Amino acid sequence: MSRIDMGTITRKMVELAQRKGAEMSEAYGLDARELSIDVSRGVVETMKLAEDRGIGLRIFKNGRMGYAYTSDLDEKVLEGTVERALANAVWTGEDPYHVLPSKVDRYPQVDTFDPEIGNTSVEAKINLAKEIEAAARASDQRIAITERSSYQDAEYTVSIVNSRGVDASYRGAYCGAYAYLVAEEKGENQTGFALSYGLRFSDINPVKVGQEAAHKAVRMLGAKRIASKRMPVLLDPYVVTQFMGILTPSLTAEAVQKGKSPLAGKGNTLIASPTVTLVDDGRLEGRIASAPFDGEGVPSSRTVLIEEGILKNYLHNSYTARKEGVISTGNGTRGSFRGTPEVGTTNFYLQAGNKSTDELMQDIDYGFYVTEVMGMHTANPISGDFSIGAAGLLIEKGRLTTPIRGVAIAGNLMELLQNIDGIGNDLTFFVGKGAPTVRIKSLPVSGD
Amino acid sequence: MSHGGDFADIYIEKKALNGIGCEDNKIERLNSGTDVGAGIRVIAGDSTAYAYTNDVSFEGLAHAAKVASHGARSEKVRQSIDLTKALAPVDLSVQLRPDEVAIEKKVEKVLEANKHARKIDDRVKQVTVGYGDVIQQVTIANSEGVYVEDERIRSRFIVHAVAADGTLIQTGYEALGGTVGFEIFEEQAPEEIAQKAVDRALLMLQAKPAPSGTMAVVMAAEAGGTMVHEACGHGLEADLVQKGLSVYGGKKGQQVASPLVTVIDDGTIKGKYGALRFDDEGTRGQRNVLIEKGELRDFMYDRFTASKDNRESTGNGRRESYQHKPVPRMTNTLIAAGDEDPEKIIKDTKQGLLVMKMGGGQVNTTNGDFVFDVAEGYIIEDGEVAYAVRGATLTGNGPEVLRKVDRVGSDLGYAIGTCGKDGQGVPVSDAQPTMRITSLIVGGTGGGDATEEQSEPEANKKSKSTSHLQELLHNKRPQIRRL
Repeated sequence: MSRIDMGTITRKMVELAQRKGAEMSEAYGLDARELSIDVSRGVVETMKLAEDRGIGLRIFKNGRMGYAYTSDLDEKVLEGTVERALANAVWTGEDPYHVLPSKVDRYPQVDTFDPEIGNTSVEAKINLAKEIEAAARASDQRIAITERSSYQDAEYTVSIVNSRGVDASYRGAYCGAYAYLVAEEKGENQTGFALSYGLRFSDINPVKVGQEAAHKAVRMLGAKRIASKRMPVLLDPYVVTQFMGILTPSLTAEAVQKGKSPLAGKGNTLIASPTVTLVDDGRLEGRIASAPFDGEGVPSSRTVLIEEGILKNYLHNSYTARKEGVISTGNGTRGSFRGTPEVGTTNFYLQAGNKSTDELMQDIDYGFYVTEVMGMHTANPISGDFSIGAAGLLIEKGRLTTPIRGVAIAGNLMELLQNIDGIGNDLTFFVGKGAPTVRIKSLPVSGD
Repeated sequence: MSHGGDFADIYIEKKALNGIGCEDNKIERLNSGTDVGAGIRVIAGDSTAYAYTNDVSFEGLAHAAKVASHGARSEKVRQSIDLTKALAPVDLSVQLRPDEVAIEKKVEKVLEANKHARKIDDRVKQVTVGYGDVIQQVTIANSEGVYVEDERIRSRFIVHAVAADGTLIQTGYEALGGTVGFEIFEEQAPEEIAQKAVDRALLMLQAKPAPSGTMAVVMAAEAGGTMVHEACGHGLEADLVQKGLSVYGGKKGQQVASPLVTVIDDGTIKGKYGALRFDDEGTRGQRNVLIEKGELRDFMYDRFTASKDNRESTGNGRRESYQHKPVPRMTNTLIAAGDEDPEKIIKDTKQGLLVMKMGGGQVNTTNGDFVFDVAEGYIIEDGEVAYAVRGATLTGNGPEVLRKVDRVGSDLGYAIGTCGKDGQGVPVSDAQPTMRITSLIVGGTGGGDATEEQSEPEANKKSKSTSHLQELLHNKRPQIRRL
C-alpha cells in the first residue's frame, strides 16, 4: 500500500485553515500499525494486523475552539474537515486562555524506536506467544485454560504542525506480551495474569511471563471469603497502579481549575505519607510512554508531583498552564487523532522504597494482601471515594496464608495516601504506570 | 480467500460523529469526525486472521485481504458465492436524523441543561453536559452469501453534577440514549435530565456512609440492569463458555437461578440503546430467551462460536468498529417482569438496602464473582425507606445471587451503558423489574469497625486514552460503564 506523508497533509491542512480565516490552527497526524497474536493450546487463535491513520484539526477563531477529525484522507474530505472545524468554532465558548505552543528550537533526545521489532519475523513473534503458554503449562499441571497468551507490537509516526511554527514528528515502536490463565482444581477455577511491555523486543522474557501468570492463578485455588473487619492491607504493584489511575485526574491542573480536584489549594502541603514520592516523566529511558514532545508539540519533561508526601506540582497542558501563568509540563496527552489534547500522564510512577515484600508484612498479625481489584472504574476521582471488589491472600502472623475472594474494600483515596506506612523496593511498570508494593495501615474489608 | 480459509467476511464502515461538551458554564468542545475503514476476517479451523485499514480503496482492501488470508490457511478450495441483499427484520427508523439538525439546535439543548442545573442550588459547583450523535453506515458481506447494508443512528445525552458543602464534595449523573435521532428529547427534556443529576449529587451530600456486610437488597426497576449484565449476561456469551471461562458452561437445562428469574437478550426493542437490525456480521437482530424460570436455556452466539457448536448465530456478533473482530456481545438485556406490586416488596423487607440507581460494574466470568456500584441507595428499616447512603458497592457471585432472588415486581426499567469486553466498547441497555435478593455483600465504610468516612463511587467516566494497551490493561474483565 502506498505510504502517505502525514507531514505534508498536516502542513496543508494548517495552511488551508489559516487561509479560510482561522487565527491559530494545529493539525495532529497519526499513522500507526499494530500486530497482535493470540495463542491458545499451541495454536494461533487470532492474528490481527491493523493500520490506523488520520488527522485531527484544532482551530481557533475569535477566541473560540473548533475540532474535527478524519480517517478518510481523500482531499475533499480533508477540506471538509477544515470547514467543519471552523464551523464548530462558531458555537463554543470564547476563552482568552486558548493558546498553541510556539516553535521549539530543540526537543529532548528520547529513544522511542527499536528497529528490531520490525525486523523480527512474525514466526518468531508467534513462537514467543507459544513459549509463554508452554512455560505456564509446564510450571503447574493445574493450569487448565489459556484465556489468552499474546504478543503485541506497534509502530507509529506522530506529526504535529501548527500555525505558530511547530512542525515536528517522531517515530515510535513498542512491544509486549501477556498471559491470562485459568487454574483448575476440584471444579474450582481461578485466574492469574502477567505482562511485560517495553521498547525492546529482546527485553521480553516469555518464560517469566508464563510462570508468573501460572503462579498467580494457582495460588488463588481454594479461595475463601472472610468476615468483615478493618485490617492492615498490602497492595501489590499492579493494584497500586490501578489506584493511581483514579488519582491522575486530581493531579491535573484542569480538574483543579474546574473545582473537581480534592487536591485543589493543597500545594506545598503534606497530603500523603512522607514515604510517597510520585513522578511523571515523559523522557524516562526505555519506557513506552516516552516521547520528545506531547500531543501539542511541547517538549516532554520530568515533573515531581508529590515529593516526600508534599504536593509539589500539577500536570499542565498549554491551556491550563496559560490560565495559571506557568509553563506547560508537557502533559497535553492525546490517545489518538480523534480527540483534543487533554491533560494526562506519560510514564507515571510511585518511587520505590527500600523494603522487601516480606519485610512489609512481617509484623502484620492479620491482614489482606490485595492482588486483584474489580470495578476500579466505578471509583470517584472527584470525591476520591472508592469501594471495589477485591481478591488476594490473607496475611497471618507475617506470612501469606489462605487465598481470599469475593470481598470489598472501601475508603477515600486522599486518606489512603496518608495511611501508607510502607513502600516496597519492587517498582514494576505496567505499560505507562509503575509502582512498588504498598502497605496501608488499615482499611475496612467487607465480607460475610 | 484465494489463499484458503473456511470463512471470510468484510465489514466496511463509514461513521459520522458529533460531540458537544459543556463545562465551566460554556461550550468547551465541539468535535465532528469522519471515520471510514474496513475490516477483513478469514477463519481457517480455529484460527482467525483479522486485518483492518482505513484505506478503503480497492488497493487498500486487496492488501488487507491478502494479509488476512496469509494469517489463516487451510486446505479448503475456493467457492463461488451469491450475494443477495438481506432485508431489515425490524424497524429502527428515526424521526429526526442528526445530520439534518443544525449544530445550533444541539448546542441549545446542551446549554438548556447547563443553565437549569446551575440554578437549582448554590451547592452545585460544576456541571458537565455531554451530547453525542453518530450515524454509522455499514456494508457486511461474507463467503456464505450474506450481504447487508445498514445504517445505525444513535444519540445520547449526559449531565454530570458536582455539589459541595464545606469540604464534602459529591457527584451525580443522569444519562439518556437510544437508537434514536434528535427526537430523543421528546422522551425527556434536557432540564429533566439536569434535575435528576443535580438531585442525586445533592442527595449524596446528605447521605450517610453505607454500612458494610451482608444484607437483603431490593433493586428498584429504575435502577437499571447492571446486576443482570454482570451476574449472568457476560457468562452467557458463547466465546467465554466455549473457552471454559464461564461458570455457566455445561449447565444448559439446569436450574441456575430462582424460578422467578427469566433472562432475555433482545436486540429488537425499538429505540433502545443496544437495538440492532443486523448485528455486525449481518445476522438479524433477535430476541433470545437465555434463562427461563431459572433454567438455563441458551447462550449468546456470533457466527464463529455458532459454527463451533453446529448451530445458527443468535445475532449477537458485535464489534466496536472496523478495527475489531466481532465477538458475542449483549444488546438489550433484561430480567422479565414478574407479578408483584413493587411497593409491597419494599414494605415486606424488614432491614436492607434499596438500590434506586446502579452505576458501573465488572465480572470475573471464570468464577462468577461480580461487583457493581450503587449510584443512589437507601437503607430500608421495617419496610420503610429510612435514609440515603453513599459509598455502597455490591459484591456477589452470579449463580449464587440469582438463586437468592425471592421477589420480582411487575415493573421494568431501563438504563444505558457502554459495555467493555476484549478492549471493545459497544452500546447496550439493560433492565429489570423491582427485585429482592435475600443477601448480598455490601462494601461500604460506615459499618462494623469502619471509619465514618464516606464513599460514593460513580461511573460517569469515559476512558480518555484510546490506546488499545490502556484498554487491555484496564478492561481485563468484562465491565459496564455508565455514560
